[in-house]
Amino acid sequence: MFLSTIRIIKFSLQDISRNVWLTIATITILVLALLSVNTLVTVEVLSRHAIDAVKEKVDISLYLKADASDEQVASLKTQISQMAKVKQVLYTSKADALRYFREKNKDNPEVLTALRELGRNPLSPSLIITPNNVEEAPQLINEIKQIKSEVIESRDFADNALILEKINDITKKISEVGLIIISIFIFTSMLVAYNSIKVAIYTHRREIEIMRLVGASNNFIYLPFVLSAIIYAFLGVLIIIILFYPFLGILQPYLEVFFMDYNINIIEYFVNNFWLIFGLQFVAVSLISILSSWLAIRRYAKV
Amino acid sequence: MFVYSPLFWYNRNKLIFMIKLVNVSKSYLRGVKILRDINLYIEAGEFVSLVGQSGSGKTSLVKILIGEERVDDGRVIIGDWDITKISRREVPYLRRQIGVIFQDFKLLPQKTLWENVAFALEVCGQPPSKIEKIVSSVMRLVGLEDKKDRYPHEVSGGEQQRTAIARSLVHQPKILLADEPTGNLDSINANEIIDLLVRINKFGTTVILVTHNREIVNHLKKRVIAIEKGSVVSDREKSKYSL
Repeated sequence: MFLSTIRIIKFSLQDISRNVWLTIATITILVLALLSVNTLVTVEVLSRHAIDAVKEKVDISLYLKADASDEQVASLKTQISQMAKVKQVLYTSKADALRYFREKNKDNPEVLTALRELGRNPLSPSLIITPNNVEEAPQLINEIKQIKSEVIESRDFADNALILEKINDITKKISEVGLIIISIFIFTSMLVAYNSIKVAIYTHRREIEIMRLVGASNNFIYLPFVLSAIIYAFLGVLIIIILFYPFLGILQPYLEVFFMDYNINIIEYFVNNFWLIFGLQFVAVSLISILSSWLAIRRYAKV
Repeated sequence: MFVYSPLFWYNRNKLIFMIKLVNVSKSYLRGVKILRDINLYIEAGEFVSLVGQSGSGKTSLVKILIGEERVDDGRVIIGDWDITKISRREVPYLRRQIGVIFQDFKLLPQKTLWENVAFALEVCGQPPSKIEKIVSSVMRLVGLEDKKDRYPHEVSGGEQQRTAIARSLVHQPKILLADEPTGNLDSINANEIIDLLVRINKFGTTVILVTHNREIVNHLKKRVIAIEKGSVVSDREKSKYSL
């Protein structure tokens, strides 16, 4: 058993070394396929982050009259908090609103000058309502519209949900296109792996014929090619790991600028999910290659 | 020390038919019958020449005996093994019982003669120590000990065929099938190969020689089975080529 395993490995390595260009071509195609898969994983991660960020921003602001008493505000806050679709209600006083406004516009001297010239706090106190579920935001807005209270000055129902829907829509389209691209690459990879094994079988046809004649077991004839397929998969995944991390390193600073305030670290994501992402890719590529070699062997080696 | 000798098997089984074909028929695509109702009984240790013109069905018969082709009708029994419906998994075990040599030798050009013979044992999982003993023994038997490190292109056709014979003997087969083994050889080399086959037969191995070389068959004076258009047309003891 041990001897046979060693000899299977030997024959497999012989197969790879005797067909260097074929090996390079096969691995290149596998690397391209994996590159597309990993690019789509990156896009998926980024869009998920973007959606989460927008989800956090989906809230409903209820502006209150400046002269509303604490009791009136507390009563309204309790009433809204008790609604089933509400996660939390935060009260922002006039002074807090001014402080947040100044903080937000600290780099905008014109706005701050205008505020100073006004000579008073023009902002209203407000209740910031966060829904339990973003999908339920439209219904919650309807319910809030029904509330009749004298202290409500205006209701800001800027539709963040609409933005979310658009992002969801774009992500869905990217996923669909990605799926088509991945399918094309998987199909191409299968064809290339199938063809490579076919050529390898052709190169070894005399050995295979003699092996069959002298009574080598079918597994002994079949397994070196399967092992070659697994080695192709391993090398493909290894190369994509070596190529992809520097690429992520280049991408990361741009992402930090683009997703400012959202703390996105794509490298960390790929490091934390290393085995899931690349392990899964190795298993998938190995299975595709094994299936291709099995088909090629059945067709051409008559094992 | 390993000494090539399948006699033990011969003695144990000499009373039964070594190869038995009962009403065997085989056709290929478009219903062309290549073998028709073949009945053959070859005893253990026999030397049989199978003669016939090209396309008569000789090679198909060889393919059936080594499990490469299946029969459409009839039964094929080797020893006490009915191989009529042999499974793919069992074929390698059958081929370790039957040595085969061909007209084109089927040697690997990038391996030495020794490595070519050893290859047959390597791929069947034999340990190096056993390979060393067996290969030495069969190389001695075919008289190629001193040329074992040469490559096929460095030796004559007769020596290449002797290497192929050595390789076919490494599993101590009970049967040796020789499909036109002298087809690519001059008469001197051809006679040497036939002499070697006769010697192997004397060890007790059943030898089936497929040929259309009249001189060789006449010289052997052994059993001759003639096939024509897929049917056995004559089967005579110590006969001559008579198609």
